[in-house]
Amino acid sequence: MIMTSTITSDTIVKFDSVIKKFGAFVAVEETSFDIRRGEFLAIMGSSGCGKTTTLRMLAGLEDPTEGNIYLDGERVNGKATWDRDTPMVWQSLALFPFLTVQENVEFSLKMRGVGKKERAERARIWLEKMQILEFADRNISQLSGGQRQRVALARALVTEPKILLLDEPLSALDAHLKVRMQAVLSNLQKDLGITFVYVTHSMSEAFSMADRVIIMSRGKVEQIGTPQEIYHKPKNTFVAEFLGSANIFNGTLSDVAGNNWTIDTDYGSYIVHPEGDLAKQTGEALSFIVSAENIRISDASSSAGGIIARAIGEEFVGASATVYFETAIGQEIKVQKSHHELAALNFATGKDYALTWDSAACYVLPQS
Amino acid sequence: MSLPLLFWQVAFFLAPLIFLIAISFWTVRNFQMEPDLNLKNWERILTRGVFWDAYIRTMIYATVAALFTSLIAFPASYAISFKLSDKTRQWVVFLLIIPFFTSYLVRVYSLQVFLSDAGIINALLSKVGIPTMAMLNTPFGTLVGLVTLCLPLVILLQVFSLGFVNRDLVEAAHNLRCGRLRTVLQVIVPSARVGIVIAALFAFILSFGDFVSPLYLGGGNPPTLSIMITDITKSGQQWPRASVVALMMISTLLVIAFAAIKFAYRERGK
Amino acid sequence: MNTNKNPLIETSLRLHLVACIAFIFLPILGSFAFSLNSDRFPSIPLGAFSTEWYRLIWEDPFVWVGFFNTVKVGLVVALIATILGFGGAYTDYRFRFFGKNVYLALALLPPTIPVVIMGLAMLAFLSRVNLSGHAVSVIIAHGVMCSPFAMAIIRLRLSQMDPDLEAASWNLGGSEWATLRHVIIPFCRPALLAALFITMAVSFDEFAVAWFVSGLNETLPVKILGFLQGQVSPRINAIGSLAFLSSIILIIFAQMLMRNPTRTSK
Repeated sequence: MIMTSTITSDTIVKFDSVIKKFGAFVAVEETSFDIRRGEFLAIMGSSGCGKTTTLRMLAGLEDPTEGNIYLDGERVNGKATWDRDTPMVWQSLALFPFLTVQENVEFSLKMRGVGKKERAERARIWLEKMQILEFADRNISQLSGGQRQRVALARALVTEPKILLLDEPLSALDAHLKVRMQAVLSNLQKDLGITFVYVTHSMSEAFSMADRVIIMSRGKVEQIGTPQEIYHKPKNTFVAEFLGSANIFNGTLSDVAGNNWTIDTDYGSYIVHPEGDLAKQTGEALSFIVSAENIRISDASSSAGGIIARAIGEEFVGASATVYFETAIGQEIKVQKSHHELAALNFATGKDYALTWDSAACYVLPQS
Repeated sequence: MSLPLLFWQVAFFLAPLIFLIAISFWTVRNFQMEPDLNLKNWERILTRGVFWDAYIRTMIYATVAALFTSLIAFPASYAISFKLSDKTRQWVVFLLIIPFFTSYLVRVYSLQVFLSDAGIINALLSKVGIPTMAMLNTPFGTLVGLVTLCLPLVILLQVFSLGFVNRDLVEAAHNLRCGRLRTVLQVIVPSARVGIVIAALFAFILSFGDFVSPLYLGGGNPPTLSIMITDITKSGQQWPRASVVALMMISTLLVIAFAAIKFAYRERGK
Repeated sequence: MNTNKNPLIETSLRLHLVACIAFIFLPILGSFAFSLNSDRFPSIPLGAFSTEWYRLIWEDPFVWVGFFNTVKVGLVVALIATILGFGGAYTDYRFRFFGKNVYLALALLPPTIPVVIMGLAMLAFLSRVNLSGHAVSVIIAHGVMCSPFAMAIIRLRLSQMDPDLEAASWNLGGSEWATLRHVIIPFCRPALLAALFITMAVSFDEFAVAWFVSGLNETLPVKILGFLQGQVSPRINAIGSLAFLSSIILIIFAQMLMRNPTRTSK
């Protein structure tokens, strides 16, 4: 195969032009990406974006309609899930209710024909690691949510796989337990040094644990990158909107003077400094973002200039507040400020303010 | 996985039914059935007044039994669904399942003892000065037997469908000053219509095909269609004629079932 | 709702319910009472207590033959119907295919066909293929009639299963057969046992089709039908009461299994 030559030893999974259709419905559009050996990769998107289908194709629970999937250098299309070593932790956990905790953990060893004694020994090692050895003979129904989570992890890891798939495993837990389990997962992944592929709709889960994040929408990969890259440099308006922390301004590129581009928007012209080599012509539509913490608020009567917008709401976020403005043409702009700064402004909803920012705070979206 | 059941039902359910159609065109000669393609059996049965009398009698029994059972059952189902605590409801439902595991024949025999001229009911009646009356070997006897047969099933099906009636709907109706009876008739019955109709349909099917009550409580003379089938079958090799009666019954049931289901799922408006 | 209660309506509804249950149970309880009564044809006042009828059936060799036929048929039917029903239930749960509705209709329709028609069709067909008049004919017919009940019970249990459970087993290295054996069947075990008991109870009580096809191998219910056609015989009550007790024990077992499907701790 030509493709195998491009698989380097630090790539464990390769999706090569993979398409998945269910009847006429396209669940995953043509997608290519690599997963690196030993990384914690999160696939994130809202429901129906194709993230779970992508994971299930990797697990062998769905077969790609077109394209190839390589696992550890081997093309695995059509290879049954029971012949792969790609254990998964399920959203519902899918623990076997008629088996004890230890029997659950032993399950995949039993399926592989491992003898009874060795099975018990290996299962107990993992129960110990997950700190649930004392529950070995209990029924699943007698465990708490967090304990079940640990059983599911032990059950998936007992064969010591190179890769672990996780499908929204924390979504059933309450907020407090969720944070604790995130730490457990992060540490586990570092200790074991194996690849985790983690599907979630939660940005906080993805960004707090993952080395790299894939953002998907409507069956398409929108962006792949580290949490930092994605957060500060979203690739397009979809990702920017999905993250929800920045304000998007659309306009037309009217002038290019070296690294100083002029974009005409509904609020007038702005100078921006694009990053990288963006090939754009004057007259092309272009968007840039300004994050909420980088916008300044002044009295409308002051000589600051900028966009005049009416304050329409305020949201309390710990030490700071997010305030919402509406411009004359109905666009919503959000700004994050400390309570102290807002008090100094005599801030009140219903009043008009002027909003400004530095041109260095603008980030031009590579795709519009 | 799917094949054993498929094979069994094709070989032992579908095939006998299809065979039944086939033999209705066969002839019987010297007490032997011979394959044929002959309309004589159909002609013979369908031109007989005795068949049509039995047909109409069976229809009437089944219709009356279905309607009467449904009417008796509904207040009971309503009480089970809306008036009992969960615990009591479970017990009552359990009680109603028990009859399915008792022999219908034994129950009918027991009813004979209750209903006969010198039986328990007449003995009780004469004690309070009411003259005895004939109940066994009358259409009344048949009806009692059919109701015994159908009542538990009809109540269970009605309770099942009443379970899906949105409780808020009932309170909303009360809140809109809809009276108790009107709420039952105009909110609860329409909401549970599918289940009520299906329950009545089952009562109809059971009564239509039953030969035990008409025979041992109704006296069997004049016969119903089921009695005709047993008589013809057991008294010789005239299975082709019996199969014509059976096929008439099946087609009637199909038409009734289709109409009932259509009525049950009928859309309101337009 | 409390303010809307009318004591008269409440009471009469409850009385009606009690009357319905009384009506249903009167013949059943009556049969019990009559079986222990010395009168050949009981009336008011009831005769003396007697176990005569039980003695008579105990000593009747034909009743014993019928009993053993019934048990033999019932056991085999329960096994066959449960296996067939499990296959059907799993098919319905797991697969989607062209013609599935036809498959389900074929699987579930038999109880809606009147027993006389079923009996006639079975008799005609089975005697054509030389299978009529044996215990095996009753087993075949009861297999057809009981498998829908088994299928319904097992299907209900499958619908309570986490749909990921099966895929989880595959994912952990279990092939489809291994998964069936180690996951699906253990999960369905309470329903499988319940189906065994219920189908056995249904077969124990079925008389009409059995009467058509059994020939000389009469089961007990067919025996009862014979008694019913002949002289007045309170032996029916005695047999009926015993049969009722055994059926009730079967369904209480089934009920207990269905109600408490989770495995108790060791």
